[in-house]
Amino acid sequence: MKRLSLALLVVFLAASVAGAQHIRIGGFGGNDTIIVEEMIELFVRPALEGTGITVQYEPVADDFQRYIINALSAGTAPDLFYMDVLWAGSLIQSGVVEPLNAYLEKSTVLKPEDIIPSLLDAFTVDGTIYGIPKDFNTLAVFYNKDLFDYAGVEYPNNEDTWDTFYAKLEQVAAIDPDIYGLALQPEFARFGALAFAAGFTPFNAEGKSDLSDPAFVEAIKWYTGMAETGVGVMPQDISQGWGGGALASEQVAVALEGAWIIGALKSDAPNLQYGACLMPKHPGTGQRGNFVYTVAWGMNAASAHKEAAFQVLEILTSPEVQQWVLERGLAIPSREALADNPYFQQDDPEAQANYVVFLGASDGNVLPFSFGSYGGDWTGPIDQALSAVMSKQATVEEALQEAQQRLDAVMGR
Amino acid sequence: MPSLQRRRWANVAAIYCFLLLFSVAFMGPFVFALLSSLKDNPTGWPPSLVVNQLKPSNWAAAYRLAKEGGGSGLMGGLGPGGQISFEITYYTQAGQEPAPPEVVIPRRVIGGAAQALRVEHWASDYVQVVDLQEVGREPLEDGLLTTYRFTLVNTAPVTLGEVPMDLTVPMRQQFVSATLAPNRIERLGRTQSWNNVSAGLLPYVFANYARVFRENYSVSTGKQLFTLWIRNSLFLAAVRVLTTLLFASMAGYALARLRFPGRTGIFAFMLFSMMIPGQVTFISNYLVLRDGIFGLSKLFGVSTLLNTYSGLIISGLVGASSVFIMKQFFERLPASLEESARIDGASTYTIFWRIMFPLARPALGALTILTFQSVWNEFFWPLVVITSPADKYPLTIGLLNLQRAYGAATFDWGPILAGTFISALPVLVLFIVFQQYFVEGISFTGTKG
Repeated sequence: MKRLSLALLVVFLAASVAGAQHIRIGGFGGNDTIIVEEMIELFVRPALEGTGITVQYEPVADDFQRYIINALSAGTAPDLFYMDVLWAGSLIQSGVVEPLNAYLEKSTVLKPEDIIPSLLDAFTVDGTIYGIPKDFNTLAVFYNKDLFDYAGVEYPNNEDTWDTFYAKLEQVAAIDPDIYGLALQPEFARFGALAFAAGFTPFNAEGKSDLSDPAFVEAIKWYTGMAETGVGVMPQDISQGWGGGALASEQVAVALEGAWIIGALKSDAPNLQYGACLMPKHPGTGQRGNFVYTVAWGMNAASAHKEAAFQVLEILTSPEVQQWVLERGLAIPSREALADNPYFQQDDPEAQANYVVFLGASDGNVLPFSFGSYGGDWTGPIDQALSAVMSKQATVEEALQEAQQRLDAVMGR
Repeated sequence: MPSLQRRRWANVAAIYCFLLLFSVAFMGPFVFALLSSLKDNPTGWPPSLVVNQLKPSNWAAAYRLAKEGGGSGLMGGLGPGGQISFEITYYTQAGQEPAPPEVVIPRRVIGGAAQALRVEHWASDYVQVVDLQEVGREPLEDGLLTTYRFTLVNTAPVTLGEVPMDLTVPMRQQFVSATLAPNRIERLGRTQSWNNVSAGLLPYVFANYARVFRENYSVSTGKQLFTLWIRNSLFLAAVRVLTTLLFASMAGYALARLRFPGRTGIFAFMLFSMMIPGQVTFISNYLVLRDGIFGLSKLFGVSTLLNTYSGLIISGLVGASSVFIMKQFFERLPASLEESARIDGASTYTIFWRIMFPLARPALGALTILTFQSVWNEFFWPLVVITSPADKYPLTIGLLNLQRAYGAATFDWGPILAGTFISALPVLVLFIVFQQYFVEGISFTGTKG
């Protein structure tokens, strides 16, 4: 009996090795399920016909970061997976992500030069590329044209500095006590872009985070000052969860958001007459600041079919697929050549907003939304400080002191 | 003794008030969530109890519009050549001349870009607006009510499922009423917007519920995921109920009545296993499933039991607590029942199936409810074991997926609320059906029968 089962075992093992190569792709659940499966159906399957490679998308309903860390350590992770710039660093550090340089050198269709450099840099450690960015987002100024028209104020534009921007917001907010200029999310994910414009960097030359940096203090005072004067409002104070909701409610004239707001506005406020422009420049430095939020395709270092997985990766990041993604308004893809795409030149607010977000990645002090191996823990203390100041529980100085202490604790761990 | 009577009444009143308060406290959020799941904007603030979807006038209008357009009044649709006539009334202040609304059929689908992939025929390409005219004026004290009428014509050769519509008027011309209440009013009151004017009664009232089913589909098979999730959960629960009833009653009977060596040891071991928190055995269980129960599953051609129903079912065949309940129940049954059967020459097997098992109905009923409810609501273990594709999820994981789809980026709570409500229904039904057993099972009154 024992011998029989052993023999059977060997047969099955042999069968599984000789069988077709099955590539598993792991990514977010929800809408991504429909998008990636459609992408596989339309592009990947036809291209792989006859190669014996099959592809399956495995959407993860749960928190993806937690899932992928667990799956990688349990040895059950998919061959290709999403890698958010926020936590890619710690994953790469632990050595579970396959370096892609060797594959890229051999590839005829995918070259590192094709990808927008600032995106690729976010997944490059010491010259080694660990992920191919699939799409990205940056922040832009989204404004409600009706409110500006009503107030008789010029729309925000690409030439605005903090001062001119503030003056415009102030006039719009003067329409009515229930109308505000800017949606002030108490998050570093929004405010940080302004701090970058003023010259702040999350980590200074010694690798320390210094919140008493004059640039940081100036930015936080300007941002939270708007809550005090009523020029801006926290979305939570008008019972909205985020800037997009606040903009859709027409109580707020401007929100600093990425292209993700477009889909939300389409469903919540489809007739909102919105426009988008680049983030305002800091009057002193003359620079804008911005975040790059991006997700890359990473390859499992323990994958049994790496060559086949890279072949799939090539198709997923091919110009045809990216064109399709762009034209359907699903995301802003990562290839540099898309800058001249006719899609961006359309007379359509959605396309124009996407173009502004696309441009945002290469204008001014742009940093990826990632904080080394600290990930999301790094922003926590600052988010709390912003919230405390804007809900009048602390002064800027008190809040910053507290935040610095907590930040040191996070980084000292 | 009027004072005694009064006191008694006061007592009754106090008790009733207390019960009323209690039920409001418990049922209030439930009812409010149900109302919200029907609304266009479930998180609207301040919250309102007035729901357009619950007004009979809108029901009649939704039914009539769909019927008129050549679709089914209940399920909606604008048939080829179908026509819908629509009326809308605006208020203008004295001195302002009313203007006819600008009617636009936008290229839009509920649910955003991902949903747009599934649309084959856009209403915006086919539906034409004709005969826009003023049909009535009614002077008021300080202003004027003006009513306009227009007709939407479908020039497509196919039935259109979704016909969104936007009406825009100049500033300060206020919307008063329309054939069907708009889903939202935008641009400081200038624009009235409808998601679907030919929705039909059910999709109009249960718009969020319809979205849950329609918008979650599997691209590879084209099937509605939500239906699959419900089916999966029902299947898993049914299997677990069956295995639990079978194994728990057999094991319970053996432990209660049969004398065999090691009986107390097994019982002690079982009790001990109940005392270990699930988190402790969680990782080892996962590894056991990953390796296919020490490689045993390879005999059946499966290298791992992760991401399979077999894994989920095998790891939850029966719980120690179920065996415990059954053991306690059988111990209370009078031994004489069994003894008389044994004298008549019945085997242990016959005694169990013919006498003890039928007698255990109350306990089995209680066990059914408890098991069904726990499997139906089970979340963490299926989340870890079942990973893909989405067709395989049980409902709890499906709901998490809904949260990703609607809650993550856009805070679109309607479909999430609707989905949760659907998931609460089976347990409610089960409790109502098995209520009697539930109470009996808990008090074990069956032993006296």
